[in-house]
Amino acid sequence: MAVCVAIIGKDNSPKFLSSLNPDEELCFQYKILSSLDIVEEKIHGVNRATDNRELFLGLLYALETHKIYGYVTNTKMKFIIVVDSSNIALRDNEIRSMFRKIHSEYADIICNPFYIPGEPITFKSFANNIKNIMTGTV
Amino acid sequence: MGTFILDTLFEVCLQLVSEEQLALVSKKGPIFCIPPIVIGLTFGGTIVGIDGAFICGVIGMIVGAGELEVFTAIEDSLLQFLPKDSAEWKRSLGRPVRSVHIGANFTPFSSAGLPKGTQWDLIRQPLFHIYWTECNDVDVYKSTLKEDIELWLKELTSKDIQDWLIVVVENYDGKRSNKLLPRTTVLDKIRADFAPKQGDRCISVINPGKSDTTDSWKGLVNRIRHLLLVAYAKAVSRLEDHVRQQRERRNDSGWKFMDYFHLQEELAQVLEMLGLYDEALVQYDELDALFSQFVVNGVTCESVAWLHDFQAPLERWHALKLRPSHLPKNPSILELRVYLYAKQAHMLLLIDKVWQMASRCLPFLHTCTRELSILDITSPPGALECWLFLASMEVLQTCDKYNHADEVEAYSKHTAPLWAYASQKLKALGELCGLLPGSSPTSEQLHVVVGLSAGMGDNPGTPIAPSPTDKLKEALCSQDAFNKLYLELAELAMGTYKHTGRVRSARLVGKEVAAFYMLLGETQKAAAFLCDASRLFRQDGWHEVAAQTERELANCYKQAKDWRKFIRCCAHVSSSIDLDTLIRWTYFDEMRKQIDKLDKSLVVPFCDIIKITSVTVKNRGTIMQDSDIELECTVESNFPREILCSRVLVSLENEPAKRTDKYCKDRCLTEKDLRPPDGLLKRLKIQSHLDYKQDKQLSSVSVICKLGELKRKDSSPPVYSDFGKCVEAVKLPFLLTPGMNFMRLTTKASQTGKYHLGQMAIHIGQMQLVSLPLIPRLSIEVEDEGPSLRLYKNAAPLLAGIEQTMNVILTVGSYPIDSTLRIRLNASRGLAIQIHQDAPLTNSCEFEVGHQEVFSSTSRRLRVLADMMSKEEHQVTIICPWNPKPIVVGLSFTPPLTSTWKLYTVMQRKFVQICVKGQCQTDVIVENSNLIVGSDREVVSRNNEHIGIIQNGLTYTYLWELTINPKSKGSTVNAEFNITYRIKKFVMEPKLYQYFFDIVDYETLYILDAALEPAKGNEFCRVGFLCHLNLTIRNVGDKFERDPKTKSIMYEVLAEQSVWAVCGRTAGVISFDAALEPQPIVLDIMPLTSGYLSLPRIRISKYIPAEGNSGKNETHPRLEPFSSGQVYNASKGKQVHVIVTTNDGCSL
Repeated sequence: MAVCVAIIGKDNSPKFLSSLNPDEELCFQYKILSSLDIVEEKIHGVNRATDNRELFLGLLYALETHKIYGYVTNTKMKFIIVVDSSNIALRDNEIRSMFRKIHSEYADIICNPFYIPGEPITFKSFANNIKNIMTGTV
Repeated sequence: MGTFILDTLFEVCLQLVSEEQLALVSKKGPIFCIPPIVIGLTFGGTIVGIDGAFICGVIGMIVGAGELEVFTAIEDSLLQFLPKDSAEWKRSLGRPVRSVHIGANFTPFSSAGLPKGTQWDLIRQPLFHIYWTECNDVDVYKSTLKEDIELWLKELTSKDIQDWLIVVVENYDGKRSNKLLPRTTVLDKIRADFAPKQGDRCISVINPGKSDTTDSWKGLVNRIRHLLLVAYAKAVSRLEDHVRQQRERRNDSGWKFMDYFHLQEELAQVLEMLGLYDEALVQYDELDALFSQFVVNGVTCESVAWLHDFQAPLERWHALKLRPSHLPKNPSILELRVYLYAKQAHMLLLIDKVWQMASRCLPFLHTCTRELSILDITSPPGALECWLFLASMEVLQTCDKYNHADEVEAYSKHTAPLWAYASQKLKALGELCGLLPGSSPTSEQLHVVVGLSAGMGDNPGTPIAPSPTDKLKEALCSQDAFNKLYLELAELAMGTYKHTGRVRSARLVGKEVAAFYMLLGETQKAAAFLCDASRLFRQDGWHEVAAQTERELANCYKQAKDWRKFIRCCAHVSSSIDLDTLIRWTYFDEMRKQIDKLDKSLVVPFCDIIKITSVTVKNRGTIMQDSDIELECTVESNFPREILCSRVLVSLENEPAKRTDKYCKDRCLTEKDLRPPDGLLKRLKIQSHLDYKQDKQLSSVSVICKLGELKRKDSSPPVYSDFGKCVEAVKLPFLLTPGMNFMRLTTKASQTGKYHLGQMAIHIGQMQLVSLPLIPRLSIEVEDEGPSLRLYKNAAPLLAGIEQTMNVILTVGSYPIDSTLRIRLNASRGLAIQIHQDAPLTNSCEFEVGHQEVFSSTSRRLRVLADMMSKEEHQVTIICPWNPKPIVVGLSFTPPLTSTWKLYTVMQRKFVQICVKGQCQTDVIVENSNLIVGSDREVVSRNNEHIGIIQNGLTYTYLWELTINPKSKGSTVNAEFNITYRIKKFVMEPKLYQYFFDIVDYETLYILDAALEPAKGNEFCRVGFLCHLNLTIRNVGDKFERDPKTKSIMYEVLAEQSVWAVCGRTAGVISFDAALEPQPIVLDIMPLTSGYLSLPRIRISKYIPAEGNSGKNETHPRLEPFSSGQVYNASKGKQVHVIVTTNDGCSL
């Protein structure tokens, strides 16, 4: 179960952010923002993975309280998942599948003719779907 | 002892350690068990390659037996030679072969020192047994030695030891005679007796002290190395099996982690001693993971009893010791963790992976914190922070120590978060102990400091390089030291982050530092950090974060009393839609309060405060000078409340000669135009790419897509254009409400030129909000219009001979002209004009402009009269004083009537026909036609004398018979036709129309006649039958004398070819020399069709014969036509009846 999910555009601006506890949202924003440094490093870094098809970036960094995972699409959209550190039961594979679900949700949104690419995503249904992915009810 | 060995490894030299030292060490370390009988133990250390290459070392313990005095002689050289070369260590289970160096200790044999089955400390047990003997005499061997060896072997086998070797030392004396006899040496005997199947267990060596024995010596050393490794491999695999067994029992009750820990650590130490640090690391990692697993699962299931041992409250939080250390008895969880990490770090350092040590640090610290909380281990407040700080500092210091230039890059990525972490922890401690600037510690907090310092223990460093513990203790004691240390750490964190390209992380640390500086009261420094941070966040589009940062920045400026910057900041904060409305209101009100206090203007860029959504120029077409430029703008205000604007302006800038910016084609900028182009929606530049081989064959086809590089937004200083020329809001003051605002702006276009809209400015008191330049540019052209003069005629064409009026229209443009200026009109010859109503018509006239408003026009009537007789095209030249060039207006006049005349002849009689054609659009009434032909002639009118009306384009024909007095025959008749006419539309006196013409050569000279006769015997002319055309030409004139040219004539029959076929000649020349009557000319002609046919046309012309002698030009005879009155053709109009051939049927 994730505590926060963010979708970051290729210009690194936030397109969507959802957290289980809305009060913590700002604090997550700071965390996700700093994780972008590592995402950039992984995307553009010298010793980046040779397999371009691997979209999952793995654990970006860990804090005492949270772990932050990253995923980048081929169009350089970044998905970030923040997980509670105490949640040890969550494995890499589950994070991966969560990312894949988010990716497919995102692909649906980008197909929506009412969505202008590059704008923040404000669809309620999307937010609900992401919430469900976060809480693991999907 | 393990630590001891580590020490020796560290010092990297071959060391011989005395027993006293060993005893010392063993006293310290409670976990070591030294074999009870160690006599003359020498300790072979690690070996260092001269070239500094990585060397593996191993120390195996070898037990010597037999004639020890023999051995002692060669012990030294053996110790020296064993580690010199590496040996291959083959292992079971398919693990890779590793090359290791081995050293050895030798110890005399004693049965009590042999290992027991439950003893797992491989390092300290005898591993390999050698029996040394110098006996060369077979008899001595048989009597004593054999028994001794038997005893020795028996003891070994009883302990299940198979790793042994028997060495026979020979003193080389040159006597090798008995070598010829097999099985006669002692060695042979031994081999036969003890190792019949394991030949390699017995070896002879020539005493190295005595002579050159390199080969045999080498053989011995290699044999020992090999067998020692075999023994080792066996022991290690046994140990591994045991460890595995133990691990499998981990869920059994009574299983203790610490026991298992020591067991596996033994394995790790063995691997470490063999130089296989990476494999040793694996052992430690396994222990680490196993422990973590226990802690995690231990919470859920209660079966792990031993875990309770670790749940004691935390009492010591000593710094991490990355130097070789030993695990205290009954360690706390922290001590165990530290020991494990220290071991891992040590292994990593040995294999030169400093960066991995750094990268493992934070996860390690997180794990510890988590485990402490999982296990509910209580600790005094701040103790954990202390420990975390010390641990991270220790790792950072170690990294610094291994500061090789090529590794800094690798570990900096991991040290940066560590620096940040350390600074965070320090700050937390500062908060706890009341050390933050602006607060002073209470006595309670001082107690806490004392407690924490005590728990840290002592770990003194040198005065030059104080240990982290020293630093922390100092920082906790003094506020200054605390500040210094915190800032130093934070700066290092920022610097390292920036160095590794993690700007965002650096800025976030900067934000924390700014908060600290705020406490210190150093607002300037704080503001710098906050500015940097907010700029980066804005650039990345993280508006909420940026707004929060700006809020802090505003507070910072407020503290610094920098009101100008404060207002700017407040404007941003209050217009941040991501923030809470109440917060925005607060900042908005504060901003308004401060704006009122401003003494000079303050420019604030629009940014996100106000967004222009549309700009429209309302004027259509070009804008005339002095007219109004009208703009309509819509702006979106993000201020949380209404605000009164004193002015709203949009600057007008002169358009540069060369357009560099993008220009808008329309007169309207919509939101879409004003939005910065979205890179995502940009069209990709895709092109095909063909690769050709050398022989021009296609080698590959590909598609190339050049991705546009993302451009960095340049932070050029905001432009502030000149608002000298501007469009200003109509209604002022303007109330700017939150959300959309519509405003009209206008200005008078006083100067001509090309302009574009520059920037928008909204003034709120002294605050001037200024937008970015409006791009795409909206251009406005202001033009002026000069006065113009035009000459207009009426719809109908101008008629010559009649006075008509035209309009002269003077239009004054955008500026007034001098009223005294005079305009002159000149007419071409034959045209009379006059602009003044009463004055007579003249060739040129002029008039004064007079007072006239701008953009008005006046019309004047110009009377024009074109001469009837002159040409039809006329010109009026207008000379205006403001125009350097005169304006030429072409006018074409048409006469109301035109006439043509024609002469008709009947034998000798002459008739004159005059056709009058109407050219006027309205009807022309004509009467009193008259033809005047001079005195000698008479004309007889054949006309009806009545009033005729000639319509446009129609002709009216008059006819007169001309009788010429024979006396004046041949002279030219100067005729004049006149008629009076009126144009029906105009009220006018009847005017006289005159037409002059001359009649020449009107006298009839020849009369021509022709008749067609059927051929002889024929009654009728038939188709296809020859007929005779009788041509008669009669000369009736009497002027041969006067004109010899008319004497000879040529006739031609111009028969229509489909009707007539002229047979024979068609033309001939006749000369009328004498007054003889010429004979009729007969021509053969055949009709081709039947019916009433017109006779063929006959033409006669004057024939002028060739004059051979007069010159080159006159070599050919010439023909000249007669004028129309000179020949009368009587046959014109004659017809002949031709009938169809009747004997067509006969011929058939």
